[in-house]
Amino acid sequence: MNNGLDLEYSFNEALKAIGLSSELAHIIWLPFPMLLVLVAAVVGVLVTVWLERKISAAAQQRIGPEYAGALGVLQPIADGLKLLVKEDIIPAKADSILFTAGPILVLVPVILSWLIVPFGQNLLISNVGIGIFLWIALSSIQPIGLLMSGYASNNKYSLLGGLRAAAQSISYEIPLALSVLAIVMMTNSLSTVDIVNQQNTAGILSWNIWRQPIGFIIFWICALAECERLPFDLPEAEEELVAGYQTEYAGMKFALFYLGSYINLILSALLVSVLYLGGWGFPIPVETFSSLLHLPLNAPAIQVITATLGIVMTILKAYLLVFIAILLRWTTPRVRIDQLLDLGWKFLLPISLANLLLTAGLKLALPRFFGG
Amino acid sequence: MKDFLQKVNSYIKEAFGASKYLFDGITVTFDHLRRRPVTVQYPYEKLIPSERYRGRIHYEFDKCIACEVCVRVCPINLPVVDWVMNKETKKKELRNYSIDFGACIFCGNCVEYCPTNCLSMTEEYELATFDRHNLNFDNVALGRLPTNVTSDPSVKSLKELAYLPKGVMDPHEVSSDDPRVGKLPEEVLDWMVSNNPPEELSVTNSNK
Repeated sequence: MNNGLDLEYSFNEALKAIGLSSELAHIIWLPFPMLLVLVAAVVGVLVTVWLERKISAAAQQRIGPEYAGALGVLQPIADGLKLLVKEDIIPAKADSILFTAGPILVLVPVILSWLIVPFGQNLLISNVGIGIFLWIALSSIQPIGLLMSGYASNNKYSLLGGLRAAAQSISYEIPLALSVLAIVMMTNSLSTVDIVNQQNTAGILSWNIWRQPIGFIIFWICALAECERLPFDLPEAEEELVAGYQTEYAGMKFALFYLGSYINLILSALLVSVLYLGGWGFPIPVETFSSLLHLPLNAPAIQVITATLGIVMTILKAYLLVFIAILLRWTTPRVRIDQLLDLGWKFLLPISLANLLLTAGLKLALPRFFGG
Repeated sequence: MKDFLQKVNSYIKEAFGASKYLFDGITVTFDHLRRRPVTVQYPYEKLIPSERYRGRIHYEFDKCIACEVCVRVCPINLPVVDWVMNKETKKKELRNYSIDFGACIFCGNCVEYCPTNCLSMTEEYELATFDRHNLNFDNVALGRLPTNVTSDPSVKSLKELAYLPKGVMDPHEVSSDDPRVGKLPEEVLDWMVSNNPPEELSVTNSNK
Protein backbone atom coordinates (compact mmCIF):
# COMPACT_ATOMS: atom_id res chain seq x y z
CA MET A 1 0.00 0.00 0.00
CA ASN A 2 1.89 3.04 -1.16
CA ASN A 3 -0.67 5.76 -0.63
CA GLY A 4 -1.26 5.63 3.09
CA LEU A 5 -2.64 8.41 5.19
CA ASP A 6 -0.06 11.18 5.00
CA LEU A 7 -0.76 13.65 7.79
CA GLU A 8 2.43 15.62 7.28
CA TYR A 9 1.54 16.33 3.67
CA SER A 10 -1.92 17.57 4.63
CA PHE A 11 -0.43 19.72 7.40
CA ASN A 12 2.15 21.19 5.03
CA GLU A 13 -0.47 21.96 2.41
CA ALA A 14 -2.67 23.66 4.99
CA LEU A 15 0.22 25.86 6.20
CA LYS A 16 1.32 26.68 2.67
CA ALA A 17 -2.21 27.80 1.93
CA ILE A 18 -1.88 30.47 4.63
CA GLY A 19 1.41 31.62 3.17
CA LEU A 20 4.19 29.83 5.12
CA SER A 21 7.11 28.33 3.24
CA SER A 22 7.54 24.59 2.91
CA GLU A 23 10.65 24.43 5.16
CA LEU A 24 8.95 26.41 7.93
CA ALA A 25 5.93 24.13 7.72
CA HIS A 26 8.24 21.15 8.08
CA ILE A 27 9.93 22.63 11.16
CA ILE A 28 6.58 23.44 12.76
CA TRP A 29 5.40 19.91 12.02
CA LEU A 30 8.41 18.17 13.60
CA PRO A 31 7.49 18.24 17.32
CA PHE A 32 4.04 16.73 16.82
CA PRO A 33 4.94 13.16 15.87
CA MET A 34 7.71 13.09 18.48
CA LEU A 35 5.37 14.19 21.25
CA LEU A 36 2.70 11.81 20.06
CA VAL A 37 5.05 8.83 20.03
CA LEU A 38 6.44 9.81 23.43
CA VAL A 39 2.93 9.96 24.87
CA ALA A 40 2.06 6.68 23.16
CA ALA A 41 5.17 5.04 24.60
CA VAL A 42 4.42 6.19 28.14
CA VAL A 43 0.77 5.18 27.90
CA GLY A 44 1.98 1.87 26.50
CA VAL A 45 4.19 1.43 29.55
CA LEU A 46 1.29 2.14 31.89
CA VAL A 47 -0.88 -0.38 30.08
CA THR A 48 1.93 -2.94 30.10
CA VAL A 49 2.56 -2.55 33.83
CA TRP A 50 -1.16 -3.00 34.49
CA LEU A 51 -1.34 -6.01 32.18
CA GLU A 52 1.71 -7.55 33.78
CA ARG A 53 0.23 -7.32 37.25
CA LYS A 54 -3.21 -8.56 36.24
CA ILE A 55 -1.98 -11.41 34.03
CA SER A 56 0.60 -12.49 36.63
CA ALA A 57 -2.18 -12.52 39.21
CA ALA A 58 -4.48 -14.54 36.98
CA ALA A 59 -1.75 -17.07 36.26
CA GLN A 60 -1.25 -17.45 40.00
CA GLN A 61 -5.00 -17.54 40.72
CA ARG A 62 -4.90 -14.21 42.53
CA ILE A 63 -6.73 -11.01 41.70
CA GLY A 64 -4.02 -8.36 41.39
CA PRO A 65 -4.68 -4.62 41.75
CA GLU A 66 -8.38 -3.83 42.01
CA TYR A 67 -8.80 -0.83 44.26
CA ALA A 68 -6.74 1.84 42.47
CA GLY A 69 -9.33 2.91 39.91
CA ALA A 70 -11.74 0.50 38.27
CA LEU A 71 -10.04 -2.89 37.94
CA GLY A 72 -6.83 -1.31 39.18
CA VAL A 73 -6.02 0.62 36.01
CA LEU A 74 -4.64 3.57 37.98
CA GLN A 75 -2.15 1.36 39.83
CA PRO A 76 0.77 2.08 37.46
CA ILE A 77 0.15 5.80 37.88
CA ALA A 78 0.26 5.30 41.64
CA ASP A 79 3.56 3.44 41.23
CA GLY A 80 4.99 6.22 39.11
CA LEU A 81 3.88 8.94 41.53
CA LYS A 82 5.40 7.03 44.44
CA LEU A 83 8.73 6.80 42.68
CA LEU A 84 8.58 10.48 41.79
CA VAL A 85 8.18 11.66 45.37
CA LYS A 86 10.73 9.31 46.90
CA GLU A 87 14.03 10.66 48.14
CA ASP A 88 16.78 10.45 45.55
CA ILE A 89 19.79 8.93 47.29
CA ILE A 90 23.37 8.83 46.03
CA PRO A 91 25.44 6.42 48.16
CA ALA A 92 28.44 7.68 50.10
CA LYS A 93 31.71 7.64 48.11
CA ALA A 94 29.85 6.75 44.95
CA ASP A 95 30.87 8.43 41.74
CA SER A 96 27.88 10.76 41.48
CA ILE A 97 28.35 11.70 37.81
CA LEU A 98 28.50 8.09 36.68
CA PHE A 99 25.75 7.14 39.11
CA THR A 100 23.40 9.71 37.59
CA ALA A 101 24.44 9.10 34.00
CA GLY A 102 24.00 5.32 34.15
CA PRO A 103 20.20 5.18 34.07
CA ILE A 104 20.15 7.93 31.44
CA LEU A 105 22.37 5.89 29.13
CA VAL A 106 20.16 2.86 29.64
CA LEU A 107 16.89 4.70 29.01
CA VAL A 108 17.58 7.25 26.26
CA PRO A 109 18.64 4.87 23.45
CA VAL A 110 15.47 2.85 24.02
CA ILE A 111 13.24 5.89 23.69
CA LEU A 112 15.27 7.09 20.72
CA SER A 113 14.67 3.77 18.97
CA TRP A 114 10.96 4.57 18.81
CA LEU A 115 11.94 6.82 15.90
CA ILE A 116 11.75 3.94 13.47
CA VAL A 117 8.67 2.05 14.69
CA PRO A 118 5.99 2.31 12.00
CA PHE A 119 2.27 2.24 12.71
CA GLY A 120 1.32 2.81 9.12
CA GLN A 121 2.83 3.72 5.75
CA ASN A 122 3.55 7.26 6.85
CA LEU A 123 2.66 6.93 10.52
CA LEU A 124 6.13 6.98 12.01
CA ILE A 125 8.37 9.78 13.14
CA SER A 126 10.89 9.43 10.41
CA ASN A 127 11.39 6.91 7.65
CA VAL A 128 15.13 6.65 8.19
CA GLY A 129 16.66 4.65 5.38
CA ILE A 130 18.74 2.57 7.83
CA GLY A 131 15.95 2.12 10.39
CA ILE A 132 16.62 -1.34 11.77
CA PHE A 133 20.36 -0.80 11.81
CA LEU A 134 19.81 2.35 13.86
CA TRP A 135 17.93 0.33 16.46
CA ILE A 136 20.66 -2.31 16.71
CA ALA A 137 23.31 0.37 17.06
CA LEU A 138 21.34 2.23 19.74
CA SER A 139 20.71 -0.92 21.74
CA SER A 140 24.47 -1.44 21.88
CA ILE A 141 24.79 1.66 24.06
CA GLN A 142 22.89 -0.09 26.83
CA PRO A 143 25.83 -2.17 28.21
CA ILE A 144 27.83 1.02 28.82
CA GLY A 145 25.02 2.37 30.99
CA LEU A 146 24.78 -0.92 32.87
CA LEU A 147 28.50 -0.95 33.56
CA MET A 148 28.38 2.65 34.74
CA SER A 149 25.50 1.92 37.11
CA GLY A 150 27.19 -1.16 38.51
CA TYR A 151 30.58 0.47 39.01
CA ALA A 152 29.35 3.79 40.35
CA SER A 153 27.28 2.21 43.11
CA ASN A 154 30.33 1.62 45.32
CA ASN A 155 28.92 -1.83 46.10
CA LYS A 156 30.71 -5.02 45.13
CA TYR A 157 27.48 -6.87 44.51
CA SER A 158 26.23 -4.15 42.22
CA LEU A 159 29.53 -4.25 40.38
CA LEU A 160 29.18 -7.98 39.78
CA GLY A 161 25.57 -7.50 38.77
CA GLY A 162 26.51 -4.78 36.33
CA LEU A 163 29.22 -6.94 34.79
CA ARG A 164 26.80 -9.82 34.39
CA ALA A 165 24.15 -7.58 32.90
CA ALA A 166 26.59 -6.11 30.42
CA ALA A 167 27.85 -9.58 29.48
CA GLN A 168 24.29 -10.76 28.91
CA SER A 169 23.42 -7.72 26.85
CA ILE A 170 26.48 -8.02 24.62
CA SER A 171 26.18 -11.78 24.15
CA TYR A 172 22.67 -11.63 22.80
CA GLU A 173 23.23 -8.72 20.45
CA ILE A 174 25.03 -10.80 17.84
CA PRO A 175 22.37 -13.47 17.23
CA LEU A 176 19.83 -10.62 17.26
CA ALA A 177 21.71 -8.75 14.58
CA LEU A 178 22.21 -11.89 12.51
CA SER A 179 18.53 -12.79 12.49
CA VAL A 180 17.69 -9.21 11.54
CA LEU A 181 20.28 -9.47 8.81
CA ALA A 182 18.48 -12.46 7.34
CA ILE A 183 15.27 -10.44 7.15
CA VAL A 184 17.09 -7.48 5.65
CA MET A 185 18.64 -9.76 3.05
CA MET A 186 15.20 -10.94 2.02
CA THR A 187 13.81 -7.42 1.92
CA ASN A 188 16.78 -5.71 0.29
CA SER A 189 16.28 -2.71 2.54
CA LEU A 190 17.04 -1.62 6.11
CA SER A 191 14.00 0.63 6.38
CA THR A 192 11.22 -0.68 8.62
CA VAL A 193 8.55 0.65 6.27
CA ASP A 194 10.00 -1.32 3.38
CA ILE A 195 10.20 -4.46 5.51
CA VAL A 196 6.50 -4.22 6.36
CA ASN A 197 5.48 -3.35 2.82
CA GLN A 198 7.26 -6.39 1.50
CA GLN A 199 5.33 -8.58 3.92
CA ASN A 200 1.86 -7.39 3.08
CA THR A 201 1.66 -8.47 -0.54
CA ALA A 202 -0.57 -11.46 0.22
CA GLY A 203 -2.04 -10.88 3.67
CA ILE A 204 -1.14 -13.30 6.41
CA LEU A 205 0.48 -15.75 4.00
CA SER A 206 3.32 -13.42 3.13
CA TRP A 207 4.40 -12.52 6.67
CA ASN A 208 8.04 -13.16 7.40
CA ILE A 209 7.35 -15.67 10.13
CA TRP A 210 6.63 -18.35 7.55
CA ARG A 211 9.87 -17.71 5.68
CA GLN A 212 12.00 -17.30 8.81
CA PRO A 213 10.59 -19.49 11.60
CA ILE A 214 13.99 -20.17 13.19
CA GLY A 215 14.87 -16.51 12.89
CA PHE A 216 11.66 -15.59 14.71
CA ILE A 217 12.46 -17.86 17.65
CA ILE A 218 16.05 -16.62 17.83
CA PHE A 219 15.00 -12.99 17.60
CA TRP A 220 12.38 -13.43 20.30
CA ILE A 221 14.82 -15.13 22.68
CA CYS A 222 17.46 -12.46 22.10
CA ALA A 223 14.92 -9.67 22.50
CA LEU A 224 13.82 -11.14 25.85
CA ALA A 225 17.46 -11.33 26.90
CA GLU A 226 18.08 -7.71 25.90
CA CYS A 227 15.05 -6.61 27.91
CA GLU A 228 16.23 -8.66 30.90
CA ARG A 229 12.92 -10.47 31.17
CA LEU A 230 12.68 -13.93 32.63
CA PRO A 231 14.14 -16.41 31.97
CA PHE A 232 17.04 -14.01 31.52
CA ASP A 233 16.48 -11.61 34.39
CA LEU A 234 19.61 -12.55 36.32
CA PRO A 235 20.82 -8.95 36.66
CA GLU A 236 17.70 -7.65 38.31
CA ALA A 237 16.21 -10.65 40.07
CA GLU A 238 15.59 -10.18 43.76
CA GLU A 239 17.30 -13.37 44.78
CA GLU A 240 20.44 -12.69 42.82
CA LEU A 241 22.94 -10.24 44.29
CA VAL A 242 20.09 -8.35 45.97
CA ALA A 243 18.95 -6.46 42.88
CA GLY A 244 22.13 -6.47 40.83
CA TYR A 245 23.17 -3.16 39.41
CA GLN A 246 19.91 -1.54 40.50
CA THR A 247 20.45 -2.14 44.22
CA GLU A 248 21.54 1.34 45.23
CA TYR A 249 19.02 3.15 43.11
CA ALA A 250 15.92 4.74 44.62
CA GLY A 251 13.34 7.28 43.60
CA MET A 252 13.50 8.83 40.17
CA LYS A 253 16.68 7.05 39.03
CA PHE A 254 15.08 3.72 39.80
CA ALA A 255 11.98 4.93 37.99
CA LEU A 256 14.17 5.48 34.93
CA PHE A 257 15.35 1.86 35.07
CA TYR A 258 11.80 0.61 35.64
CA LEU A 259 10.45 2.72 32.78
CA GLY A 260 13.29 1.69 30.52
CA SER A 261 12.66 -1.97 31.19
CA TYR A 262 9.03 -1.76 30.13
CA ILE A 263 9.61 0.59 27.20
CA ASN A 264 12.23 -1.84 25.97
CA LEU A 265 9.76 -4.69 26.26
CA ILE A 266 7.12 -2.87 24.21
CA LEU A 267 9.72 -1.74 21.68
CA SER A 268 10.96 -5.32 21.23
CA ALA A 269 7.42 -6.61 20.87
CA LEU A 270 6.67 -3.92 18.27
CA LEU A 271 9.85 -4.71 16.36
CA VAL A 272 9.07 -8.42 16.35
CA SER A 273 5.65 -7.62 14.94
CA VAL A 274 7.22 -5.29 12.36
CA LEU A 275 9.92 -7.74 11.30
CA TYR A 276 8.06 -11.03 11.43
CA LEU A 277 4.33 -10.53 11.86
CA GLY A 278 3.62 -8.03 9.12
CA GLY A 279 3.59 -4.75 11.04
CA TRP A 280 0.39 -2.90 10.32
CA GLY A 281 -0.96 -5.49 7.92
CA PHE A 282 -4.34 -7.05 8.42
CA PRO A 283 -4.45 -10.83 7.68
CA ILE A 284 -6.57 -10.05 4.62
CA PRO A 285 -4.93 -7.45 2.37
CA VAL A 286 -6.73 -4.11 2.48
CA GLU A 287 -6.90 -3.97 -1.29
CA THR A 288 -9.69 -6.56 -1.15
CA PHE A 289 -11.72 -4.25 1.10
CA SER A 290 -11.36 -1.32 -1.21
CA SER A 291 -12.28 -3.43 -4.21
CA LEU A 292 -15.32 -4.77 -2.33
CA LEU A 293 -16.48 -1.26 -1.57
CA HIS A 294 -15.66 -0.12 -5.13
CA LEU A 295 -13.70 2.86 -3.91
CA PRO A 296 -10.19 3.80 -5.05
CA LEU A 297 -7.40 3.44 -2.52
CA ASN A 298 -6.94 7.22 -2.34
CA ALA A 299 -10.43 7.97 -1.07
CA PRO A 300 -10.27 9.72 2.31
CA ALA A 301 -12.70 7.32 3.95
CA ILE A 302 -10.66 4.31 2.87
CA GLN A 303 -7.47 6.01 4.02
CA VAL A 304 -8.81 6.72 7.49
CA ILE A 305 -10.17 3.19 7.85
CA THR A 306 -6.97 1.54 6.70
CA ALA A 307 -4.82 3.80 8.88
CA THR A 308 -6.92 3.03 11.96
CA LEU A 309 -6.86 -0.66 11.11
CA GLY A 310 -3.10 -0.51 10.75
CA ILE A 311 -2.58 1.10 14.13
CA VAL A 312 -4.93 -1.35 15.83
CA MET A 313 -3.22 -4.34 14.19
CA THR A 314 0.24 -3.18 15.21
CA ILE A 315 -0.82 -2.68 18.81
CA LEU A 316 -2.65 -6.03 18.88
CA LYS A 317 0.37 -7.92 17.63
CA ALA A 318 2.72 -6.15 19.98
CA TYR A 319 0.52 -6.86 22.98
CA LEU A 320 0.10 -10.50 21.99
CA LEU A 321 3.87 -10.80 22.26
CA VAL A 322 3.88 -8.87 25.56
CA PHE A 323 1.30 -11.36 26.83
CA ILE A 324 3.55 -14.26 25.83
CA ALA A 325 6.48 -12.55 27.57
CA ILE A 326 4.45 -12.16 30.78
CA LEU A 327 3.36 -15.80 30.65
CA LEU A 328 6.96 -16.89 30.09
CA ARG A 329 7.98 -14.92 33.14
CA TRP A 330 5.84 -17.11 35.37
CA THR A 331 6.53 -20.36 33.53
CA THR A 332 10.27 -20.72 33.18
CA PRO A 333 12.93 -20.90 35.89
CA ARG A 334 15.77 -18.42 35.79
CA VAL A 335 18.84 -19.23 33.71
CA ARG A 336 22.21 -19.21 35.50
CA ILE A 337 24.88 -16.86 34.21
CA ASP A 338 27.03 -19.59 32.69
CA GLN A 339 24.00 -21.26 31.11
CA LEU A 340 22.95 -17.87 29.82
CA LEU A 341 26.26 -17.17 28.13
CA ASP A 342 26.42 -20.72 26.80
CA LEU A 343 23.01 -20.27 25.26
CA GLY A 344 24.01 -16.99 23.63
CA TRP A 345 27.37 -17.92 22.23
CA LYS A 346 27.27 -21.67 21.73
CA PHE A 347 23.66 -22.22 20.71
CA LEU A 348 22.03 -19.12 19.28
CA LEU A 349 25.04 -17.75 17.43
CA PRO A 350 25.74 -20.90 15.33
CA ILE A 351 22.05 -21.39 14.64
CA SER A 352 21.58 -17.80 13.55
CA LEU A 353 24.62 -18.11 11.28
CA ALA A 354 23.14 -21.27 9.80
CA ASN A 355 19.83 -19.44 9.37
CA LEU A 356 21.61 -16.64 7.55
CA LEU A 357 23.38 -19.06 5.22
CA LEU A 358 20.14 -20.91 4.57
CA THR A 359 18.33 -17.69 3.76
CA ALA A 360 21.11 -16.63 1.43
CA GLY A 361 20.98 -19.98 -0.35
CA LEU A 362 17.21 -19.86 -0.68
CA LYS A 363 17.39 -16.30 -1.93
CA LEU A 364 19.66 -17.38 -4.75
CA ALA A 365 17.68 -20.52 -5.51
CA LEU A 366 14.14 -19.15 -5.28
CA PRO A 367 14.40 -15.41 -5.86
CA ARG A 368 10.67 -15.00 -6.31
CA PHE A 369 9.81 -16.12 -2.79
CA PHE A 370 12.86 -15.02 -0.86
CA GLY A 371 13.37 -11.53 -2.19
CA GLY A 372 15.03 -10.94 -5.50
CA MET B 1 31.58 -38.21 9.76
CA LYS B 2 28.82 -40.52 10.91
CA ASP B 3 29.79 -39.72 14.49
CA PHE B 4 29.43 -36.00 13.80
CA LEU B 5 26.04 -36.45 12.17
CA GLN B 6 24.84 -38.50 15.13
CA LYS B 7 25.96 -35.72 17.46
CA VAL B 8 24.10 -33.13 15.40
CA ASN B 9 21.06 -35.38 15.40
CA SER B 10 21.04 -35.81 19.18
CA TYR B 11 21.65 -32.05 19.62
CA ILE B 12 18.64 -31.21 17.48
CA LYS B 13 16.54 -33.78 19.36
CA GLU B 14 17.56 -32.19 22.67
CA ALA B 15 16.64 -28.75 21.37
CA PHE B 16 13.22 -29.97 20.32
CA GLY B 17 12.74 -31.71 23.65
CA ALA B 18 13.59 -28.53 25.51
CA SER B 19 11.16 -26.49 23.46
CA LYS B 20 8.46 -29.10 24.08
CA TYR B 21 9.06 -28.73 27.84
CA LEU B 22 8.70 -25.00 27.49
CA PHE B 23 5.50 -25.35 25.53
CA ASP B 24 4.04 -27.71 28.14
CA GLY B 25 4.91 -25.17 30.80
CA ILE B 26 3.23 -22.34 28.94
CA THR B 27 0.07 -24.40 28.49
CA VAL B 28 -0.04 -24.97 32.26
CA THR B 29 0.33 -21.25 32.96
CA PHE B 30 -2.23 -20.43 30.32
CA ASP B 31 -4.64 -22.96 31.80
CA HIS B 32 -4.42 -21.24 35.17
CA LEU B 33 -5.70 -18.03 33.62
CA ARG B 34 -9.20 -19.44 33.30
CA ARG B 35 -9.46 -20.50 36.96
CA ARG B 36 -11.25 -18.53 39.61
CA PRO B 37 -8.90 -16.76 42.03
CA VAL B 38 -8.58 -18.46 45.40
CA THR B 39 -8.16 -15.14 47.19
CA VAL B 40 -10.25 -14.61 50.33
CA GLN B 41 -10.87 -10.90 49.98
CA TYR B 42 -10.54 -9.76 53.58
CA PRO B 43 -12.34 -7.62 54.92
CA TYR B 44 -15.24 -8.23 52.55
CA GLU B 45 -14.89 -12.00 52.84
CA LYS B 46 -13.66 -13.78 55.94
CA LEU B 47 -13.00 -17.41 56.68
CA ILE B 48 -15.02 -19.00 59.49
CA PRO B 49 -12.40 -20.27 61.95
CA SER B 50 -12.56 -23.96 62.86
CA GLU B 51 -14.00 -25.18 66.14
CA ARG B 52 -10.64 -25.76 67.79
CA TYR B 53 -9.19 -22.47 66.61
CA ARG B 54 -6.88 -20.94 69.23
CA GLY B 55 -8.06 -17.33 69.25
CA ARG B 56 -8.50 -14.91 72.13
CA ILE B 57 -8.91 -16.54 75.54
CA HIS B 58 -12.30 -16.32 77.28
CA TYR B 59 -12.51 -16.29 81.10
CA GLU B 60 -15.42 -16.88 83.46
CA PHE B 61 -14.79 -14.97 86.69
CA ASP B 62 -17.35 -16.94 88.65
CA LYS B 63 -15.79 -20.33 87.95
CA CYS B 64 -12.23 -19.34 88.80
CA ILE B 65 -10.80 -20.68 92.08
CA ALA B 66 -7.53 -18.70 91.91
CA CYS B 67 -5.44 -21.89 91.91
CA GLU B 68 -2.83 -20.24 89.61
CA VAL B 69 -2.28 -23.46 87.61
CA CYS B 70 -2.71 -21.38 84.44
CA VAL B 71 0.15 -19.15 85.53
CA ARG B 72 2.42 -22.10 86.27
CA VAL B 73 1.81 -23.92 82.98
CA CYS B 74 2.02 -20.76 80.89
CA PRO B 75 5.40 -20.61 79.06
CA ILE B 76 5.83 -17.00 80.16
CA ASN B 77 3.77 -17.01 83.38
CA LEU B 78 1.46 -14.46 81.86
CA PRO B 79 -1.97 -14.48 83.62
CA VAL B 80 -2.06 -12.04 86.52
CA VAL B 81 -4.21 -13.59 89.27
CA ASP B 82 -4.90 -10.95 91.92
CA TRP B 83 -6.25 -12.80 95.03
CA VAL B 84 -6.13 -12.21 98.75
CA MET B 85 -6.69 -14.63 101.63
CA ASN B 86 -9.99 -13.93 103.35
CA LYS B 87 -9.30 -14.64 107.10
CA GLU B 88 -12.97 -15.00 108.11
CA THR B 89 -14.11 -17.47 105.43
CA LYS B 90 -10.62 -19.03 105.18
CA LYS B 91 -10.97 -18.98 101.37
CA LYS B 92 -9.13 -17.23 98.58
CA GLU B 93 -10.91 -14.12 97.36
CA LEU B 94 -10.29 -13.29 93.71
CA ARG B 95 -10.08 -9.55 93.07
CA ASN B 96 -8.83 -9.31 89.45
CA TYR B 97 -7.65 -11.52 86.65
CA SER B 98 -5.95 -10.23 83.53
CA ILE B 99 -4.06 -11.55 80.52
CA ASP B 100 -1.92 -9.30 78.31
CA PHE B 101 -2.57 -10.33 74.71
CA GLY B 102 0.43 -8.32 73.57
CA ALA B 103 2.59 -11.03 75.14
CA CYS B 104 0.32 -14.09 74.94
CA ILE B 105 1.40 -16.70 72.38
CA PHE B 106 -2.07 -18.35 72.24
CA CYS B 107 -0.61 -21.80 72.93
CA GLY B 108 -3.65 -22.90 74.95
CA ASN B 109 -1.76 -24.47 77.88
CA CYS B 110 -3.77 -22.48 80.43
CA VAL B 111 -7.03 -23.63 78.82
CA GLU B 112 -5.89 -27.25 78.82
CA TYR B 113 -4.84 -27.31 82.50
CA CYS B 114 -7.60 -25.20 84.07
CA PRO B 115 -9.37 -27.50 86.60
CA THR B 116 -12.69 -25.65 86.56
CA ASN B 117 -12.91 -25.08 82.78
CA CYS B 118 -13.27 -21.35 83.27
CA LEU B 119 -10.74 -20.70 80.49
CA SER B 120 -11.58 -21.40 76.84
CA MET B 121 -10.35 -20.19 73.46
CA THR B 122 -12.62 -18.23 71.13
CA GLU B 123 -12.43 -17.72 67.40
CA GLU B 124 -11.59 -14.03 67.67
CA TYR B 125 -8.27 -13.04 66.11
CA GLU B 126 -8.82 -9.39 65.24
CA LEU B 127 -7.23 -7.88 68.34
CA ALA B 128 -5.48 -4.91 66.71
CA THR B 129 -5.44 -1.68 68.73
CA PHE B 130 -3.73 1.67 68.41
CA ASP B 131 -2.05 1.41 71.82
CA ARG B 132 -0.49 -1.81 73.10
CA HIS B 133 -1.72 -1.12 76.61
CA ASN B 134 -5.27 -1.66 75.32
CA LEU B 135 -4.31 -5.29 74.75
CA ASN B 136 -4.12 -5.94 78.46
CA PHE B 137 -7.55 -7.55 78.97
CA ASP B 138 -8.98 -7.56 82.51
CA ASN B 139 -11.59 -10.05 83.70
CA VAL B 140 -14.47 -7.96 82.31
CA ALA B 141 -12.94 -7.77 78.86
CA LEU B 142 -11.97 -11.45 78.97
CA GLY B 143 -15.53 -12.36 79.88
CA ARG B 144 -17.03 -10.77 76.79
CA LEU B 145 -18.28 -13.12 74.10
CA PRO B 146 -16.62 -12.71 70.71
CA THR B 147 -18.44 -11.33 67.70
CA ASN B 148 -19.23 -14.01 65.18
CA VAL B 149 -18.07 -13.52 61.61
CA THR B 150 -21.34 -14.95 60.30
CA SER B 151 -23.37 -12.34 62.17
CA ASP B 152 -21.71 -9.41 60.37
CA PRO B 153 -23.94 -8.38 57.44
CA SER B 154 -21.15 -6.63 55.55
CA VAL B 155 -18.95 -9.70 55.48
CA LYS B 156 -19.37 -12.75 53.29
CA SER B 157 -18.25 -15.62 55.48
CA LEU B 158 -16.52 -18.55 53.84
CA LYS B 159 -16.05 -22.06 55.14
CA GLU B 160 -12.58 -23.43 55.69
CA LEU B 161 -11.20 -26.37 53.74
CA ALA B 162 -12.08 -28.93 56.41
CA TYR B 163 -15.75 -27.92 56.34
CA LEU B 164 -16.26 -28.07 52.59
CA PRO B 165 -18.21 -30.95 51.04
CA LYS B 166 -16.37 -33.78 49.38
CA GLY B 167 -14.71 -32.83 46.13
CA VAL B 168 -15.15 -29.10 46.62
CA MET B 169 -11.95 -27.09 46.97
CA ASP B 170 -13.18 -23.52 46.55
CA PRO B 171 -15.16 -21.99 49.43
CA HIS B 172 -16.70 -19.42 47.09
CA GLU B 173 -18.89 -22.09 45.55
CA VAL B 174 -20.54 -23.11 48.82
CA SER B 175 -22.90 -20.87 50.75
CA SER B 176 -22.00 -20.49 54.41
CA ASP B 177 -25.65 -21.04 55.36
CA ASP B 178 -25.47 -24.65 54.20
CA PRO B 179 -25.57 -27.17 57.05
CA ARG B 180 -22.19 -28.43 58.11
CA VAL B 181 -20.71 -31.34 56.26
CA GLY B 182 -20.66 -34.59 58.15
CA LYS B 183 -23.17 -35.90 60.71
CA LEU B 184 -23.78 -34.95 64.33
CA PRO B 185 -23.61 -37.93 66.78
CA GLU B 186 -27.43 -38.26 67.00
CA GLU B 187 -27.63 -38.27 63.27
CA VAL B 188 -24.99 -40.98 63.09
CA LEU B 189 -27.01 -43.20 65.42
CA ASP B 190 -30.16 -42.59 63.38
CA TRP B 191 -28.30 -43.46 60.23
CA MET B 192 -26.88 -46.64 61.77
CA VAL B 193 -30.26 -48.00 62.87
CA SER B 194 -31.88 -47.04 59.59
CA ASN B 195 -32.09 -49.14 56.46
CA ASN B 196 -28.85 -48.45 54.58
CA PRO B 197 -25.70 -48.61 56.62
CA PRO B 198 -22.74 -50.69 55.39
CA GLU B 199 -22.79 -54.27 56.62
CA GLU B 200 -20.20 -53.99 59.35
CA LEU B 201 -21.86 -50.93 60.94
CA SER B 202 -25.38 -52.24 61.01
CA VAL B 203 -26.85 -52.51 64.53
CA THR B 204 -30.21 -54.03 63.60
CA ASN B 205 -29.05 -57.59 63.33
CA SER B 206 -25.93 -57.81 65.48
CA ASN B 207 -25.78 -59.43 68.89
CA LYS B 208 -22.77 -57.57 70.26
